[in-house]
Amino acid sequence: MAAYEKRRAAAAPAAGSGLGEPARAGAAARGLGTEAEFLLQAGVTAMVREALLKVLEARPEEPVSFLADYFEKLVLSSPGAGGEAAAEPPGLPQRLARALWYVRLAHHSHRTAFNNNMGMAYECLSASGRRKRPGVDGRLYSELLRRICRPGAAPEDVVAALLQKIQCRDHEAVPFDVFRYGVLTCFVLLEFAAKAGTLYDVLDGGSGPADKRVCQAVLHTLEDALGASDFSVPIRYLEAGSKLGPDCLALAMDRALQERELSVSMSREEFVKKATALFVAKVKPID
Amino acid sequence: MLSPERLSLPGPEYLAQRHVLTYMEDAVSQLLENREDISQYGTARFFTEYFKSVRQGTHILFREFSFVQATPHNRASFLRTFWRCFRTVGKNGDLLTAQEYHCLLQLLCPDFPMELTQKAARIVLMDDAMDCLMSFSDFLFAFQIQFCYSEFLESVAAIYQDLLAGKSPNTVIVPTSSSGQHRQRQPPNDCSPLDGVEASLFYQCLESLCDRSKYSCPPSALVKEMLSSAQRLTFYGFLMALAKHQGINRALGALPDKGDLFLDPAMDQELEKLVAQVSGLSISAPTSSSGDAANLPVRNLPRISSPWKPLHHRRKMDAESEGSNEETDSSEN
Repeated sequence: MAAYEKRRAAAAPAAGSGLGEPARAGAAARGLGTEAEFLLQAGVTAMVREALLKVLEARPEEPVSFLADYFEKLVLSSPGAGGEAAAEPPGLPQRLARALWYVRLAHHSHRTAFNNNMGMAYECLSASGRRKRPGVDGRLYSELLRRICRPGAAPEDVVAALLQKIQCRDHEAVPFDVFRYGVLTCFVLLEFAAKAGTLYDVLDGGSGPADKRVCQAVLHTLEDALGASDFSVPIRYLEAGSKLGPDCLALAMDRALQERELSVSMSREEFVKKATALFVAKVKPID
Repeated sequence: MLSPERLSLPGPEYLAQRHVLTYMEDAVSQLLENREDISQYGTARFFTEYFKSVRQGTHILFREFSFVQATPHNRASFLRTFWRCFRTVGKNGDLLTAQEYHCLLQLLCPDFPMELTQKAARIVLMDDAMDCLMSFSDFLFAFQIQFCYSEFLESVAAIYQDLLAGKSPNTVIVPTSSSGQHRQRQPPNDCSPLDGVEASLFYQCLESLCDRSKYSCPPSALVKEMLSSAQRLTFYGFLMALAKHQGINRALGALPDKGDLFLDPAMDQELEKLVAQVSGLSISAPTSSSGDAANLPVRNLPRISSPWKPLHHRRKMDAESEGSNEETDSSEN
């Protein structure tokens, strides 16, 4: 009880002082110099700044949780954390886990942050101390892609089809732009699969499986829009967008509803699989 | 999963909205306090532990009140802790006074202000007979409304006063300082049902208040639903309705539904074991232990000596406490 009273008493003056004015309240009396000096010397200031920049970059929904994970990674990766092992370069599993953490830090729509983290991940994968030539080989790259897709909403065989398209050979060196393209494609696939799942939820109206005809109509419209071939021309995006507009889609669904047969339905898995297959078909293969 | 508006906010606004700096500053001042320990464990480890405990909601334990009330997450964590620590009180069916609940609150937060406890008690007792006994769940849900919506309720009280006085409520100034809740709320002196305010007008004012307020407010849709069933209402009638509304409890997300408040199979099992052990020994039946119990007739209800009571009994206790106002009123007068 007494110890905790002391703690509280000490908390009171510190509570009001922010980062801006940390030098206050009897720090000098302890003979440790001002609080600001202590924070600078201990590297706290730099650590806090770095962490806040990461938060700002990633804009996570739950910043507290993000910070807890962030600092935990910092502990694991900091020298001295593993005792003698710290002198050795981190092993392959650690490097993979760390790279995975980096690429997941920021959403890919947040381009600058995402690219930064991608660079960090690439560096982290290629930094193996023993070998003279740093670099990421095809084996490491494929393993990372597999791990990114693992817990996702995308069906396994669709993921396999995608990986087939964007894989490099095990012994090949993977340049950064290929690395970036592969990782980004995996993330987009995951999001696409999640969106397809939500779309199915809308189609089944929250009760039971959705009507097969309606599902097919939606899939056809999607295919039609994506089928507009060459996406390097900006106008194609507008075209695809207009094909997926509410009026076109509603017409197709309406037509499908009129000619539907009762009790023929499509399962959620089938719908997501078909939708994601459309996406994978559009992915440009490497080489 | 993604709420895109947070991506487009300017940096400082995003940080403020999510209270990132509040926690970061607190983490640094905690670190300065414990700097002797830091050299052993390392700064990163300290921050990890700090933010993990914030995530779990254990960070508010034994902290100063100014910190406990600093963010909605802190308030919800405190409420949850209070419920977890003292739910046996409710399970036993004990009825306590505001003063006694205040002592429980102070066990978790030593400088917890009495004023807040009293305000919560006023909601339960409809601003009447303040030394009455309250059931744990009645107090808990009233306390939740008072604690989580402190600033909102201050403004509501002002609006209510203005409406009563026939003034235009648009002139109401919304308290902007965080110390808003320490301001004296002038309790509406007459609570007879004829003297309330008109519900629809009241709702309009509340809606615009919620739009403007930067503090937590109950969801307007729920408030609208609550007020649409009444013609006129009094201030404490409104607060009581807020406290008893399941939807609002769910929106706050700190406590389970009223029916699940005392469900805890793991703890029940533990207690059952203990009771089995204890009843093996012969222990004299508990007499009314505390001194103040003598002059409080409700205390002398037949009590089961074990700390555990089956569910159906709890339901009965709840039903009794609903009517506890009237009961104790009559014994007071």
